[in-house]
Amino acid sequence: MTDDDDKFFERLRGDAASLRHRVDDATLARIHARIRERIAPKPTVADVLASWFRPLAAGLTALALAAAIGLTVNVSEGSFDEEQVEIVMGGDTYRVGD
Amino acid sequence: MANDGDPLEARAIARVQDGDAEAYDALVSKYLRRVAAIAWSITRNATDAEDLAQEAFVRAYQNIGRFRTGEPFGPWIGRIVTNLAFDVMKHRRKFRHEELAETARAARRDDADVPAMSNDLGARIDAAIESLPEMQRLVARLHLVEEMAHGEIAAVLDLSEGTVRSHLSHARTKLKEKLADLYD
Repeated sequence: MTDDDDKFFERLRGDAASLRHRVDDATLARIHARIRERIAPKPTVADVLASWFRPLAAGLTALALAAAIGLTVNVSEGSFDEEQVEIVMGGDTYRVGD
Repeated sequence: MANDGDPLEARAIARVQDGDAEAYDALVSKYLRRVAAIAWSITRNATDAEDLAQEAFVRAYQNIGRFRTGEPFGPWIGRIVTNLAFDVMKHRRKFRHEELAETARAARRDDADVPAMSNDLGARIDAAIESLPEMQRLVARLHLVEEMAHGEIAAVLDLSEGTVRSHLSHARTKLKEKLADLYD
């Protein structure tokens, strides 16, 4: 390769720079988003089912908890009433737990 | 796409290999522009270049387990996109029965895909490069237009540096002839 060749290629390289394909930022962002979408871990059937059932299970748990608390309150109130014992002795009535 | 031994890049690759898909963003951001440029240099079609860049990154991600730690990512993704682009070109040739003369190929390009050429000089250079045989054309385009070094071109095209220099030397001779009136 001669000096002439070198100079020719150098000049050509300078002039050829205008031919460069410039990908704009919007296009780069679009390609990047598509890549991200394609490599994102795909949910399994179990994941999909879990995503449906998780809120349902949470709702049912809340209901069960509320019911359990309600029942406990009722039972404790009920047992208080039930502990009232009436004793009749010689025509007199005695109450225990009133 | 230099072999720069970037520690951030090595860390990102290690994280991706451990299953952290988000860590791949850093690699895509670093190399996407270059990968799209290589795809465009081969296909000369903006839509194909976009699709190929996307496909190359997805394939690289799917095969990241095979990637050898410590190696630079750039030449690897460059080779992937180059092979994909060559496949597209083969497919095109096969299905379009393209036996067009080299000069005719330049003429039938989609104008929208060609960068705006500020003057006749750009158009002349572009046509001269397009008239070269395939490998000379690609090597010349990557060297002259994309300003890639011999080593980078060799890594991306999976050729020896000597072969790249040889292609460039032949391309130089032909381009000098074709553009003699401009560079005398």
